[in-house]
Amino acid sequence: MGDVDRVEKAERLGRKRSQIFFVLAMVFFAGQSVYFGAPEATRDSPARIGAWLILVILMLFLLATGGFLLQGRDVRDLLNDESARASRVAAQAVGFWATILALIAVYVESMFDRVTLNEAVHIVGTIGVGAALISFATRERRAHRLG
Amino acid sequence: MAERLANRLRAEREFRGWTQAELAARVGVSRKTINTIENGVFVPSTLTALKIAESFERTVDELFSVVED
Repeated sequence: MGDVDRVEKAERLGRKRSQIFFVLAMVFFAGQSVYFGAPEATRDSPARIGAWLILVILMLFLLATGGFLLQGRDVRDLLNDESARASRVAAQAVGFWATILALIAVYVESMFDRVTLNEAVHIVGTIGVGAALISFATRERRAHRLG
Repeated sequence: MAERLANRLRAEREFRGWTQAELAARVGVSRKTINTIENGVFVPSTLTALKIAESFERTVDELFSVVED
């Protein structure tokens, strides 16, 4: 594969990645409406909690690696070049601040209402990871649209 | 007063008849990176700025400059 072909392949995969990450984050948030919408029916379900945990770990893994691990090293290097790494660093900062704000919100809520550890972890984890993934996807989509 | 990094990448690239993908392949970055640098959205690292300058056979100073808005 020539250098230009590799660049074009990385471009296609990069566009696809930003779309997949955005949709994944939206599905993730939408899934939480079930958890918080019908608490008595879902919160104690080990399957549902396990599914949430697996999704969180998957999203963190995608954010950390950029995905497409089966692609060749040369294409992955282009996919995760310095502009993608800059997007990732900015997204991680967004995730950090979203996590802290969620922690503060849960702390304040616990002063007025009973919040279990499970609920607190679920809320903070959902907001922190979801915000980071959406931030990365949005930055990458915007960068691909320029020009 | 705000400062930003201006560049002549698009002019140099178009002068040579290269596409963004061709320049990206020469520099070893993605087309998106070249695109965002050209549009002033992304400030490249020193290493990438040097590689871009080398691709054009120019100096970094000839391609990049600091401007005040």
